Formats: sequence, structure tokens, C-alpha cells
Amino acid sequence: MKLLEALQALKKAPADGEPFVVALACGFEPLHLETFLAAHLQRAMPARRVAVRAGLYGDLAGNVARLAHAGAAAAAVAIEWADLDPRLGLRNRGGWDPAGLPHVLESVRMRLSQIEAALSDAALPPVALCLPTLPLPPADCVPGWQAGHLALELHALVAGIAARVARGGVRVVDAQRLAEVSPPAQRLDVRAELRSGFPYALPHASAVAELFARLLCPPAPKKGLITDLDDTLWRGILGEAGVAGVAWDLDHHSQTHALYQQLLHSLAAAGVLLAVASKNDPDLVEQALAREDLLLPRDCLFPVEANWGQKSASVARILRQWNIGADSVVFVDDSPMELAEVKAAHPGVECVLYPTEDDAAAVALLSRLRDLFGKETITEEDGLRLASLRRHAAISDLAFRVSDLNDFLRQAEAELAVDFRKEPSDPRALELVNKTNQFNLNGVRLTEGEWRARLVRPGAFLLVAGYRDKYGPLGKIAAVAGRAEEGVLRIETWVMSCRAFGRRIEHGCLAALFERFGAAEAIFDFQPTPRNGPLQAFLGELLGAPPGPAARLTRERFAQACPPLFHRVREVTHD
Amino acid sequence: MTDDLRARLIECFAAVFPELSEPEIPRASPESVAEWDSLRAVRLLATIEETFDCVVAPTELDEMVSFERILRYLEGKRRSS
Repeated sequence: MKLLEALQALKKAPADGEPFVVALACGFEPLHLETFLAAHLQRAMPARRVAVRAGLYGDLAGNVARLAHAGAAAAAVAIEWADLDPRLGLRNRGGWDPAGLPHVLESVRMRLSQIEAALSDAALPPVALCLPTLPLPPADCVPGWQAGHLALELHALVAGIAARVARGGVRVVDAQRLAEVSPPAQRLDVRAELRSGFPYALPHASAVAELFARLLCPPAPKKGLITDLDDTLWRGILGEAGVAGVAWDLDHHSQTHALYQQLLHSLAAAGVLLAVASKNDPDLVEQALAREDLLLPRDCLFPVEANWGQKSASVARILRQWNIGADSVVFVDDSPMELAEVKAAHPGVECVLYPTEDDAAAVALLSRLRDLFGKETITEEDGLRLASLRRHAAISDLAFRVSDLNDFLRQAEAELAVDFRKEPSDPRALELVNKTNQFNLNGVRLTEGEWRARLVRPGAFLLVAGYRDKYGPLGKIAAVAGRAEEGVLRIETWVMSCRAFGRRIEHGCLAALFERFGAAEAIFDFQPTPRNGPLQAFLGELLGAPPGPAARLTRERFAQACPPLFHRVREVTHD
Repeated sequence: MTDDLRARLIECFAAVFPELSEPEIPRASPESVAEWDSLRAVRLLATIEETFDCVVAPTELDEMVSFERILRYLEGKRRSS
């Protein structure tokens, strides 16, 4: 992003947008880093009005210490060597006497320990941290091609603090990615540093700001990947080469396919749904997928659509089975024509070419897929998702055949686990808030800082619901949040995974809330969205009319409209 | 060509000084624009350098004190290149 573009992006911020205030802590003049950070965040959150507040010049440790009480929704911390000891910068003349270098190390150690203590404050909003990005000055006595004691010690010190604060939840900018987008030799702007105290070349300032923005406002990860088989999951055409003839190894110059399989296996373990859409003979496909040397276990793939029909039709069936939106899905195929055909039928699907003949591009593809699906933590639900989806398909089929849904639910031995503990450290509730579309009260997405702030308000409540039945566990699949005041539940957030549909879990949650707070009435902060039809239908059934903003439901009306519930309700009081 | 230069410079000023209307920009100077402080001056300089792919030498900073003088400076740069 150019500086002009950044300034223009900030001009476009909606004047009536809800403010999103970010604190920027650095020791140098924040100047264009501040502008770029605001612009990248504004681009990521176009409905908000982003404001960046910087601290005092020359006081990195103090600026970090003040973050906990800055009233910001998030914070970015940019450390440079000169902020840890002025002798490591260009604007000071403290001397590079070899005898004084141990003192440099000592002062850096002391400054870092202050920063680490400040970054361990529980009252901090979400924090993104960038370790020093600029070159060290030639202070050490060794030639530049040799790593001197000073440089080695300094790098070890900052790496140590980063590892420790990351364990506490601070998100650290990846140095490898930063080097890819901002080559180290082009980062320092000596003229700007000496003239104004701002050390970054503009492209570097934009690169650092963009990575900060991604850490503080990460894009929603994709949920499902549909892969082709021939010349994608493996090298070769199954129908021609046969089951033993397709390959994924060094010997057959097809190693990148093995790496692709490895990545898919890793994604599956992180809860990503994987399916196959292939123009192939289904029996041959099953035989190939049963090969013991396949690095992606067969049971990670559901469903497998192997047929001779159009791939867009296969993708449509997969989306129905998964019950997720097309915009949460990536389709990988080696054929540009197949990609175009799927894209035309499903514009929301992100279609990605597998570059069979270009090993370097294939390896780059792996990083791109990791970016699309990457998430900070893997929850228990991620491990349950595929199994519960298979069960859901089987149960839907069973329920369809049972004449009365009540009969089916009665025999399901369902348990609804309700957890009223407000634990912002459990990422599951916020994950549901920010990824659920269909059963979502109003589509409002929240940052981690906003979520935490909501939970500490007077009267705030949070219900996280888990579910299991005789067919297996679904994990934590619903979250309801709001305020309970004077016998009224103000429900501001209500989301439920689509895997939990058809079990009356939503009714069970509402019953539990009325019971817990002794409320006579619930008011819903409902807003229609293009995709929250299931939520609208649910509320409409209870209210007896289509819901509107601030829809009200009395407990009495709920009792009349609620169908029979067969769950055993258990309150969770400890992990 | 000068019109293009002028239009791009107006774009830079509009981005750095969003308070100014387009007719006010050609008359802009530190005396006429209250918001033209040292921070905005640095931002304006960086935006101009990036947009016009030029480097303003320390001895040329005196030229950067009004829209018209900056425009003349950029026109001179273009003629000499």
C-alpha cells in the first residue's frame, strides 16, 4: 500500500462507524507506521472507524506499560534495537567502545524484562508484537559477514521474550513472512531516521502495519477444502496408470503431491473439512484411496464425489453435505477449465490451481493454503467436526425415516451441557461468534477485545452449550451472550453451529437461560442477514410472527410454543 | 503534462489535508492552513516523494512551503530530468 492510498483509505472511514481504537507502542516516531496501521485495519474493517493512538517518543518500555490502561480494543508493539539501547541506533552518539558492549547487553536485558512484565499484564487487550526488523549498526568488532557475540546475544534475548509472551497470548509477527514481503536490506530509511526519527522505508512501514493488522483482525479461516485427485492429490491419471501407477514420491518426480497430502492431513487434524471432487471411476478411486502409503488417511475425506458428471454438481452435493456456505470453501484442481466451471456455478468458492508442472509454485501453494485455513488454536470441537458431520448425515437419514421427530429425539439419549462461566480465555465462544452464519442472531462479528469488554459489563452473561447423544459428541456448539437485568434477558449474541441443527438445542438453551436468571421476558437484538434464515425461522416459530429488531418473547409464550425437549441438562462448573 | 502533475499534487494535498476543499488547495500554505504543522509537513513530503518518485534534498526543503511552490519545484524537476 502506498502512503497516498493509506491516507485516502482513512478518508473513506464512515463518520458514524463504531470506533475501533488501537494503541501503538514504539520508541521511534510513529509517523507513517501509525498511518499505515490505521489504513490496513480500516481496510479489514470497513464498517468501523479506526483510530490509532501512539505513545511518547523514546519511551518504548513506558508506552508498553501504559497499554493495559489505554482503553484500546487492541495494541501493536514495534520494537527496534535503538529503543532497547540508544547506542544501537543512528540518532545517538553513545560510543561503540568494545569495552562498553557488555553494558549495551545489560541495558537491553533490563529494558526487555520491563517490556515482558508489561506484556504479561492480564488487563491487556489483544496484543501484536513485532521484534526488531532493522539492521544492527556496526558496533561489534567483527566483520559484517560474521555474527558477533553482541548480535547473537541480542537476537537470543528478543527471541526468548517473544516465545514467553506468545505463550501468554501475545501474537508475534512472523519474521520469515516479513522478510518475504519486505527484504531486510530495503527496510531502513537512514535519511528519514536522521531527519525525523522515523526509521522505516515506506514499503517496510506498510508491510509491518499489514502484518499487525492481520494479527489484530485476522481474516476468517476457510472451513472446507475440496480437492481433485489426478495430477492434484497424486501425480498421474488413475484411469490410465492404474491404482499402483499414480505416485507421490521423489522417485517419480511427484514429491510435491506428497507434501500436498501431508498438508491436507494437517488441515484435517485442525478441523478443516476435506472432500474429493473427481471425474473418475468410483471403484478405482476407492482402491487408490485405500493405498497404505497415502499420507492422507481415507477417513479424512468426506464425502468423496467420484463420477463422470460436472464438477460443479459434485461441489454442490458436497456443500449440501457439509452445510456450510460456498464462501468458506476452497476448491483445488489442476485444470483451469474445471476451476472455471466450478467458479461459474459457485462464485463464492475460492478456486485454486494446482501447478502440477511447477514444483516451486506447488510448494508456494502449500503456504497459501495454510494462510487460508490457518487458525491460532485447535479446539476440541475441531477434532469432532468431521465425525459429527458423518453422524449428522446418518442421523438426518434416520430421522427422515422416523415418522415422528419426537420419537427420534426421545431415544437419542441427549445431554445438553450448559456452561455459564464467563471465560474469555476459552476461544470457542468467540470462534463461533465470528464464523457462524446461519444460526446467528444478527451477524455481528467481534474482536477479542470487544468480546472481553462485553463479558465484564454489569449483568453480563454467557452461556456456552455443549451437546452429546448416543450417536456421539458434538462438543461446544452454541453460545448465547447478553445482559440479565431486572427479570429481562437482553440477548445480544446467539450463535449455533449448523452441525447442531435438528436437535432442539436452541430451545434447550433458551429454556436454560429463563430458568437460570428467573427471567420473565427475553429481548433479542435481532437483525436479518442474507444468511441467517434458520435463526429467523426459529424465532418466527416462537413469536408466531417474523422477528423484528428488539423482538420480545415472554417466558409464558415460550412455554406454549416450545416443542417437547428430551435433553438431560447438566451444568458445567469445572473443566 | 503540467495538468497531470497539478492533478496528482492536488490528490496528495487532499489526502494529507482532508480539511481542505479542492478550491482551497491551490492556495494552501502554512500561513493559510492551520493544520499545516510539522507532522503534516513530514507526511506531505513523504507522500509527494512516493507519488512523484523523487527525493527532496535537505537544501530543497525550503521549496516545500506552499502548493504553488511545490508545483513549480516538481515542474522544474520534470524539465531537468
